[in-house]
Amino acid sequence: MASSLKALLVEDTAVDRMVLSFMLRKFHCEVILAKNGKEDVDMFLEGNKFDIVVCDKDMPIMTGPEAIKKIRAMGATDVKIVGVSADDNAMEAFMSAGADDFVPKPMRLEVLGPMIQEVINMKNN
Amino acid sequence: MDYSNLRRQAASLKKGLFDQGHLDEQFRQVEDLQDEASPNFVEEVVVVFFKDSGRLISNLEQALEKYPRDFNRWDAYMQQLKGSCSSIGASRMKNECMSFRDNCGQRSVEGCMGSLQKLKREHAILRQKLESYFQVTLEAPPCQSWCHDRWIISINLLTDVCMFTMQLLRQVGPAGAATRPAM
Repeated sequence: MASSLKALLVEDTAVDRMVLSFMLRKFHCEVILAKNGKEDVDMFLEGNKFDIVVCDKDMPIMTGPEAIKKIRAMGATDVKIVGVSADDNAMEAFMSAGADDFVPKPMRLEVLGPMIQEVINMKNN
Repeated sequence: MDYSNLRRQAASLKKGLFDQGHLDEQFRQVEDLQDEASPNFVEEVVVVFFKDSGRLISNLEQALEKYPRDFNRWDAYMQQLKGSCSSIGASRMKNECMSFRDNCGQRSVEGCMGSLQKLKREHAILRQKLESYFQVTLEAPPCQSWCHDRWIISINLLTDVCMFTMQLLRQVGPAGAATRPAM
């Protein structure tokens, strides 16, 4: 699957950062990293554009759902935002914050692949 | 060096890790991410995992002492560790994380302490088993390179045998034919 998507990965845990960034690169995404929700928001404030954001929930300084609320409030409504968490109860927090999807950890290639394809299709259309 | 034996040993160690429940399918997902550009990806992730998990366990032990009965705080540490365990497929460790969190929910200090001890045991066992596995895989090169080498050796040997046979036939020559008995 060929892709030129720009992905923002927001994740504070080193292991998850490694695994998730490699998964995104497997689908040929350019991956930018942020270690918490504040860095996530700052990326958008600096004028960066992303096709997809993959965001953890519980992070220091600012959580994922808090960051997503701020990003949507900035007018970034087109970017696909996927919340990921080991917390089984995280779906409500992500979706009410404005995420498009929630995936319980661990992320799997067969789950991420169709999401990437969906973003590619939307971008091409 | 008997690479086939080493590869069998590595496969057996890995199978044991899955059969005994130390690893689950997620570990295979991590293996699928390894490629020629990142040939040591799995080992690198595992090294980072044990560094992080060791730190988290240590932080949790300090929190158990410094913040008695602060189940929310203890739970937050364990949730982070559970996430890491899930991401690399450390199944038995993940189960102990869940058990600890259940004990936090039930506000059982004794239960939490017991779960933590089991978690530390699983952590040590998994670390030792994975270290053994990676040690063997380091000694056994990837199948492509040793299979290729084996073919090269076979072709060279065949060439040598052919050359020797031809030399022998040249030396024997027509004289060899003359010594055959008449029918």
